[in-house]
Amino acid sequence: MSEAKERQHIRRWRLLVQSGALLLIVIAPFLNFYFSIDFVQGWYQSLGIGKLWFVSPLEGLESILVAKRLYLPLLTAMVVPVLLALFLGRVFCGWICPIHFLSDLSDRFLKLFSRKKLRKDHFLLPKTIIWYVLLAELLLTMILGAPLFVFLSPPGLVGREMMMVVFFKTLTLEGLIVVAVLIANFVTRRFFCRYFCPLGGLLAFLGSKRKLRVARDEESCTECGMCARACPLGLNPAIGEAESNYCWNCGECVEYCRESSLTLTWVQGSSKR
Amino acid sequence: MKTNSRTPEDKQAGRRLFIGGLLSSALLAVGVRSEARLLSSPVTTNRLRPPGAVTENIFLGTCIRCGRCVEVCPYHCIIPLDSRHGVHAGTPLIFAETIPCYLCMKCVEVCPTGTLRPVKQEATRMGLAVVNRHLCYTWQSQTLCRTCYNICPFTDKAIRLDELRPVVNEKECTGCGICVHACPITAEDGSKAINIEPLYSRVQMS
Repeated sequence: MSEAKERQHIRRWRLLVQSGALLLIVIAPFLNFYFSIDFVQGWYQSLGIGKLWFVSPLEGLESILVAKRLYLPLLTAMVVPVLLALFLGRVFCGWICPIHFLSDLSDRFLKLFSRKKLRKDHFLLPKTIIWYVLLAELLLTMILGAPLFVFLSPPGLVGREMMMVVFFKTLTLEGLIVVAVLIANFVTRRFFCRYFCPLGGLLAFLGSKRKLRVARDEESCTECGMCARACPLGLNPAIGEAESNYCWNCGECVEYCRESSLTLTWVQGSSKR
Repeated sequence: MKTNSRTPEDKQAGRRLFIGGLLSSALLAVGVRSEARLLSSPVTTNRLRPPGAVTENIFLGTCIRCGRCVEVCPYHCIIPLDSRHGVHAGTPLIFAETIPCYLCMKCVEVCPTGTLRPVKQEATRMGLAVVNRHLCYTWQSQTLCRTCYNICPFTDKAIRLDELRPVVNEKECTGCGICVHACPITAEDGSKAINIEPLYSRVQMS
């Protein structure tokens, strides 16, 4: 029992992982440009660490759909991110994506100066929009014959802007998308991530049978509603929404739960939802 | 006097119409021009894709704009295009007269999508060097310049001398653009006396 009650210090771990992930794409351009150390190249569209390559599933899928040809290194580079999404869900969004990290940081920063403990969401849309966005994105890509998200994805843009600053000493116009996405946080937390990120949609779709879930201990839960207020995606774990596809396993609710009745756990066997 | 019979309001309205028409036609012209630019390929004379690139018609589809070729290039010759290039924004391009490709073949090794296919240095065909004999000092018998011949990495193969004048061998030229970068002559339009024409960008070569 005492084991279950032990606090999972998820926020601390998440901060560590997120800072490491951001640091990687911030430092890589400097190493490449000034020292010609090309061990790490790219960012979260495609990241190369030595011979280990990763390609974001949506970008890879778009490339395959448009070009109608398979390329083995591309497929192998997509294996790890896809497996990650299959077993752990949208953890890329919650734990790695620089957009969520920057939003997270600004949340933490603003909390220092405001009396309100948590930011509120002012404008809500149906959560199912994200599936239509994903479909529309893929259809539009195939109609245009040119992938869209590869150039305009906010997480990718953070990396590209970093590279542009180091390599060409300039920022680009499309970088405003990142600014817009961050500003939208003031209306609704993670407004873009919730409804309009096709990559998030694809990862959520892949993670529908995920093993890592936020589990609720029904006995100790007092339904205080703290978790629902803490969730950056506006989900309510107390009514089982953490089991839904939309949850990105960031563990914010686990951290805020006063009774420690929420835990990030590895679910054995198939889950109901 | 027809014009004098019109009231000032009429005149003003006419002027407004004229200026409005001028502005809208200008906007239309800009729109049409930019639309052509938004969809057309940026590959032209001395504007080249990195080595081993797939053909231009599928390049914009396969390239995921990850920028790894840009980051890995030790000569910083690969430039990611900006958003003014429409659907081609983010794709890599080499501006041969600014910094040419030195054929280190690092970009080819890191491309995750096969947009830049593994290719040997001497098998690279980014384009073909063409001497503009009307500009070239040597061909014009003005001086004995052989800069391109001296600088070519495939000496006596890709560029050889024919009666001391440079001649490109189509079989050997990789289109790296080192000769373009070195050429001392620049024409009014920015072209050199030797230029790379991306002849092979439309059909798969290897």
